[in-house]
Amino acid sequence: MLVNDKPLLSIVTHSPATTIGVTLVTLHLLNAIFAPLLIPYGSTQLAGMPLIAPGHPDFLLGTDVIGRDFLSRLMMGGRTSITVAMIGVMGAVIIGTFFAVSAAHFGGYYDDVVMRIVDTKLSIPGILFVALFVVGFGRSVTVLTIVVGLSYFPGAVRTIRAQALTQVPLAYVKAARLRGESALSVIIRELTPNVIEVVVVEFAIRTSSAILIVSALSFLGLGISPPTADWGLMVSEGVNQIYEAPWLILLPAVFISTLVVGLNFASDGIANALGLDAARGLGGH
Amino acid sequence: MFRAMIRRTLLSVLILFLVAVFVFLATEVLPGDALDVYLSEDDVSVMTLEDIEEMRQELGLNVPAPERFFTWLSGAVVGDFGVTIVDKIPIGDIVFNPLLNSLQLGAIITLITLPVAFAIGATAGYYRGRRADAWVSTTTIIGYSIPDFVIGTVLIIIFAVWIPLFPAVITAYNDAHPLELIAVSLLPAITVIIGHVAHLSRLLRVGFIETMNSDFVERARLSGVPERNIVLRHVLPASVIPTLNAMALYMAGVLSGLIVVEKVFGYPGLGIELIEAVDTREVHVVQAIAFLGAVLVVVMNLLADFAIIALDPRVRSHVSER
Repeated sequence: MLVNDKPLLSIVTHSPATTIGVTLVTLHLLNAIFAPLLIPYGSTQLAGMPLIAPGHPDFLLGTDVIGRDFLSRLMMGGRTSITVAMIGVMGAVIIGTFFAVSAAHFGGYYDDVVMRIVDTKLSIPGILFVALFVVGFGRSVTVLTIVVGLSYFPGAVRTIRAQALTQVPLAYVKAARLRGESALSVIIRELTPNVIEVVVVEFAIRTSSAILIVSALSFLGLGISPPTADWGLMVSEGVNQIYEAPWLILLPAVFISTLVVGLNFASDGIANALGLDAARGLGGH
Repeated sequence: MFRAMIRRTLLSVLILFLVAVFVFLATEVLPGDALDVYLSEDDVSVMTLEDIEEMRQELGLNVPAPERFFTWLSGAVVGDFGVTIVDKIPIGDIVFNPLLNSLQLGAIITLITLPVAFAIGATAGYYRGRRADAWVSTTTIIGYSIPDFVIGTVLIIIFAVWIPLFPAVITAYNDAHPLELIAVSLLPAITVIIGHVAHLSRLLRVGFIETMNSDFVERARLSGVPERNIVLRHVLPASVIPTLNAMALYMAGVLSGLIVVEKVFGYPGLGIELIEAVDTREVHVVQAIAFLGAVLVVVMNLLADFAIIALDPRVRSHVSER
């Protein structure tokens, strides 16, 4: 299979880090998808005695403070945050593309209004932005998904608009206008396909950052609520047993870290292999 | 030059106004009635319609939203955010000390982050494509991929539980002496610094490479200026300019990071105050903290713009078109 005239295999093995990243992401995705079929106990089921240490024959990674099987919780612990992050960022990028491309196309006051809204959001630090919504609308997965979408919308608009601005003056856009295509058609059929590469990179980079945010919010008690198994939540629940059972913190910490490190290794390596240098140095929060 | 500065200032005021509108809308207008936020279902079931109406009067909710907004805003610009719902304590008093504590921790973090990020970014940029660059690139990805709360909690496990050098939880109060807080700031600061150094050094690397490729560096080389002078005196200062705005926006990231580490370590700052306010549904405290956070970011951004206008002759001429 070829991507941008390069064999897929050479892209995913671009560097040792890329290979590690792609492997980690694949393992995490397989686990997230098939976990419900593989887990020995229900992730919220009280399965045994509390605080059994790892290595027990029935509970491979032990049990938590109220006796839930820790392996089952770990395996299920990424599903909610991954889903929330992906749906939220996808919504942000799709709607953001429309606003970004149309702002670049029309320019003028419309562009100004869109960009001032973007500046406004970018001025409110991420977690404060979420806190406003949580206090107003309460805590739920739906609210969280919408808030993640709103959080990543302005950044998406900014990046994609910058790319669209390089396209607007080009001849094919002018030609389409002269052919009598409507503004909507120019935006959707002519401009959008030519910014799609940036859109995809934006999605890839922001998803890993959104997973970080969602797990941080769960840790703070602003995100996913108990008894759902979630790595961020598990770390904060483990803090009370930090002396007698530090693995309750360390194991979910390893899971969340390997996922995000994997995603960023993979997206950085793939962007490099495809020569999308613009993507470098823009990851993170 | 001054026209450009005035323009940026006016724009910042506009942004802050929009932030205020947003902060107000998100918490008071959109979710129906603000009373829904204060009262649980249990409360409502034991209250009569008159009680509710009376409470609405008391909270000033019978006043139309635009009017309430301007009352709130005119207070907010002078630091008066009203009183808490339950205890009627002035919010300004509640957030003042935590704000100072957070600013202090933020300043410590920034003072360490910037030089370290510079050194790493410039080194990686200078040795672009070589082994040092690849190594930096890999470690920085790991640095910003691991969540703050994970780094913080793991540091506690290592340096408080396994090797008991530090207390696991900071027990300082809101009004603790600044020096007392500096003493306990080490682990929280390191936690935030790791991610931010990782991220900023990548930005600075890009800025450094761009500057190294510019004509004036070529000229300096050709006219025999020593390589060390080129890098330290010319490239380094020039490579800062394109990254200034990103750095200012980055302060927003520092604020978010602060909220997380304050919770991890129990540092008495705005973050702890915020989480508590969300738990107790003290809407006005959340509003105040969100607004203060945005003021900080906007001011930093404005300062970055001023610095760019003052430092970069190319921008001076066409900044007014931005």
